Amino acid sequence: MRLAVADEDLSACVSCGLCLPHCPTYRVTGEESASPRGRIAAMRATHATDAPAGPEFAEFMDLCVQCRGCEVACPSSVPFGRLMEGARATLARETAYQPRRRRMGYAVLGHHRLLLLASSAAAVLQRLHLVPARLGLPRLPLRRPRLRPGDTAGPGGRPIGTAGPGGRPIGTAGPGGRPIGTAGPGGRPIGTAGVGGRPPEPDAWLFTGCVMDAWMRPTHAAALRVMHATGARVALPGPGGDCCGALHVHAGLRRQAEALARRVMASMPGDAHVVVDSAGCGAALKDYGALLGTAEARRFSDRVLDVHEWLAARAGRLPAARRRLTGPVAVQDPCHLRHVQQAHQHVRTVLAPYADLVELGDDGLCCGAGGAYAGIHPAMAQEIRARKVAAIAATGAPVVASANPGCIVHLAGAGLDVRHPVDIIAWSLDGG
Amino acid sequence: MAGVASGEAACNSARQTGGVTDALAAELSAAMAPDRVRSGPLELTLYRRDASLLEGQPGVVCFPSTTDEVQAAVTIARRHGRAVVPRGSGTGLAGGAVPVGVDGAEPVVIVTTKMDRVLEIDADARVAWVQPGVLNLDLSRQVAHLGLHFAPDPSSQQSCSVGGNVANNSGGPHCLAYGVTSAHVLALEVVLPDGSLALLGDLDPEPPGYDLRGAFVGSEGTMGIAVRIAVRLSPDPPAVRTVLVDFASIETAASTVTGIIAAGLVPAALEMMDARITSAVEDYVHAGFPRDAAAVLLVELDGLPAGVEAATQIVADVAAANGARGVRVAADEAERALLWKGRKSAFGAIARIAPDYYLHDTVVPRTRLVEVLSEVYEIAARHRLLVVNVFHAGDGNLHPLLVFDRREPGVMARVLAAGTDMIAACVAVGGVLSGEHGIGLEKRDHMGLIFSDDDLDAQRRLRLAFDPEQACNPHKVLPSGSGCGDLQSVPAGAWI
Ligand SMILES: Cc1cc2nc3c(=O)[nH]c(=O)nc-3n(C[C@H](O)[C@H](O)[C@H](O)COP(=O)(O)OP(=O)(O)OC[C@H]3O[C@@H](n4cnc5c(N)ncnc54)[C@H](O)[C@@H]3O)c2cc1C
Ligand code: SF4
Ligand code: SF4
Repeated sequence: MRLAVADEDLSACVSCGLCLPHCPTYRVTGEESASPRGRIAAMRATHATDAPAGPEFAEFMDLCVQCRGCEVACPSSVPFGRLMEGARATLARETAYQPRRRRMGYAVLGHHRLLLLASSAAAVLQRLHLVPARLGLPRLPLRRPRLRPGDTAGPGGRPIGTAGPGGRPIGTAGPGGRPIGTAGPGGRPIGTAGVGGRPPEPDAWLFTGCVMDAWMRPTHAAALRVMHATGARVALPGPGGDCCGALHVHAGLRRQAEALARRVMASMPGDAHVVVDSAGCGAALKDYGALLGTAEARRFSDRVLDVHEWLAARAGRLPAARRRLTGPVAVQDPCHLRHVQQAHQHVRTVLAPYADLVELGDDGLCCGAGGAYAGIHPAMAQEIRARKVAAIAATGAPVVASANPGCIVHLAGAGLDVRHPVDIIAWSLDGG
Repeated sequence: MAGVASGEAACNSARQTGGVTDALAAELSAAMAPDRVRSGPLELTLYRRDASLLEGQPGVVCFPSTTDEVQAAVTIARRHGRAVVPRGSGTGLAGGAVPVGVDGAEPVVIVTTKMDRVLEIDADARVAWVQPGVLNLDLSRQVAHLGLHFAPDPSSQQSCSVGGNVANNSGGPHCLAYGVTSAHVLALEVVLPDGSLALLGDLDPEPPGYDLRGAFVGSEGTMGIAVRIAVRLSPDPPAVRTVLVDFASIETAASTVTGIIAAGLVPAALEMMDARITSAVEDYVHAGFPRDAAAVLLVELDGLPAGVEAATQIVADVAAANGARGVRVAADEAERALLWKGRKSAFGAIARIAPDYYLHDTVVPRTRLVEVLSEVYEIAARHRLLVVNVFHAGDGNLHPLLVFDRREPGVMARVLAAGTDMIAACVAVGGVLSGEHGIGLEKRDHMGLIFSDDDLDAQRRLRLAFDPEQACNPHKVLPSGSGCGDLQSVPAGAWI
């Protein structure tokens, strides 16, 4: 079965095996089929014949976390992420690789109101002990704070939309203002002409995403709080800016991902930076140029920055800590920040003035969260996590900082106190 | 997913796993656990090769986790008339773990990766007992807090297993001063080819009787499977300096190597990289390797601080006297680590030049280095091939790599011919076949070039003492057949 991969990418692997110890599934199993080298060999074998891929191939591909630890470890720079996405796209298109049930799950992510409703409903069921623990869901919020850039503006931070005549702060428009993405009556996305004229271009957009907005909105509020503290005007995306499509790309559902990408781009027009506080979403947004292959998408991707990357460039403008955590904080690098965006050092730059940081001794090995992975392969995800938990325990730090919602939820599931770096900074700025 | 597999694939799998293999797989499954015995056609494909170019075909792959399970796997395989092929991480460069069976029956591959525990550490005696699947670098990391490390440091150390190191008697950049693996293995517990267990050597440095431990180290899986290994741990040196020297010609680099040794220094490591490999590596690590150098030397000095400072000065002086363009001393541990990361990723970085490589591993007298190197470049040019050189210069261990794209028609024949010429050139100046990567499948037919029939016969009889039925990693190391002098191609069932 011909895979949607470039021959050059496939032949770039010399089978040296230097990637093996950097692969979380190989670390757990010691098996070639669960290693980057073996997965590439399986792709080669499959790509070389006309026979349809068998169940073995789909299994080997599916067990990959797509952490891309192998990619940075590979001296030949084999573009593993691209290969795996291509292989899965072929599987999704030509086989029953993504069953209907899973496809529907991915589809919901792009319907934000439905997702919020479903999440709240699940939260109620959880309180009633009707959600089985084996699903590994975190404790879901019953309610979510409203994100109001204006309300949380720190000193010098001017909320967007209050400057121009007739402009409205996003999401708070009129009575019954709603959180962004649910544009109810009167709620207007920024950038579309409001009554009486256009609001001015913001200094930056804060991308809010799907699951993160449903489960961890207080972290967005903290990100806004910290961004405002630099004096910047921050806007939230208009309608459609609510799912980046990363999980769809990983699942091989490329068409859905492309549609979501176009929506996200339209939700944050202009030239301002697109700031992201979820490492997984940030990596996806930065890859729109490659996903859509258009000049417009490349320009959009160039505007994208991880929130720590954006803050690091403005670190001098952040106020001093008003309180500090007592113990050290272990920095856990999300794979899509470290291996894909290679922006993990910025977390240290930004966080260091607010906490005593300690490093993990595991070379940035994946924690096993992997977007939807922990839900699809819970046993493997937990075995991978056990190694991360041991690496964290070895530091003795009581608190872990992680810049990705998936990692936070997954590690918290092991009983750790895991916080987003911007939550730590916002807490520190607010004082006690 | 049922229904996705075509009739053809299903029929393939029936052929490969049918008949005897089904019964074999069932018995193996009963002896360990069903999920640790594999015979799916695609999975078997993944065990056809190691990091060399050769390919074989396994019949079954299994992953024992205890000594008992290894014994059971060997016994069951033998009962079914199958050979066994031990495999660690599969980073071998000579095809040692490539599965080749006997009498057309595909072998059972026994993978040690699930035996990955450090069993016991005695910091005072500086000894650790480890399982064979422990990764070389993991071992050093696990004892780092004691100020100790495992000295053999193959460039593949992050990935290769201690069992593989033992089987190949592997070396590494730092073996110039500290010796190769055999100097760091005290005792071994091995499952012999008949399934019985034996302890070779012991913790006493001068055990009485034959040194069977010494015979096993370097036996490349042909004498049994190591299941427990007592390794010597070395204390970390108090001070270390790493120096990068940059040259405008290979000759000046080579004469600097000779000069450093002649000055009475024994650097901890002394490595050379030529122009092409230096820039490929720099593309990956961004360590500041000079892209325009014809060759660079990486020299490491260790010991007491004062001695290290003095030795660093001597290296700088010798380099200057030989016309080096620049000398850079790594300022801190991070810079030092980055330089070594560059050197150690050299083979892996090859694909930046071409997708395939064919590597030789010969040792020549250090004084003949310059001469042999220029011949190596000439041979490559004659066969219209590209060759790059990165090697342990201190002990004359050359690693000429022919880089190519195997999809180019006819290229394999030129690569093999050039390889043979290179080996002949090395042997002609008094060199030997393998410094550290082993003979495996790839080099075994060149054994006749350096050993007489009598030598080979003696080696064969030693092997037979351990493995009378030649069922443990058959076809490896020793040329098959009687006429050892004639160069045969690789055995049937394996191909490049
Ligand atoms: C990028 C790269 C750099 C390298 N650099 C070096 C270097 O600097 N120095 C060097 O010496 N080598 C080097 N090598 C070669 C290789 O890594 C070493 O030979 C290593 O020791 C092989 O270990 P492994 O676990 O991968 O063994 P494998 O490749 O799995 O097996 C190697 C041989 O050992 C046998 N074997 C494995 N485990 C056992 C066991 N438990 N009992 C008995 N037999 C066993 C196998 O049958 C086979 O014959 C390099 C390889 C690569 C890819
Ligand atoms: S992916 Fe890269 S590191 Fe892994 S085996 Fe292939 S070439 Fe080596
Ligand atoms: S992406 Fe991660 S899990 Fe997948 S092969 Fe690479 S290292 Fe392994």
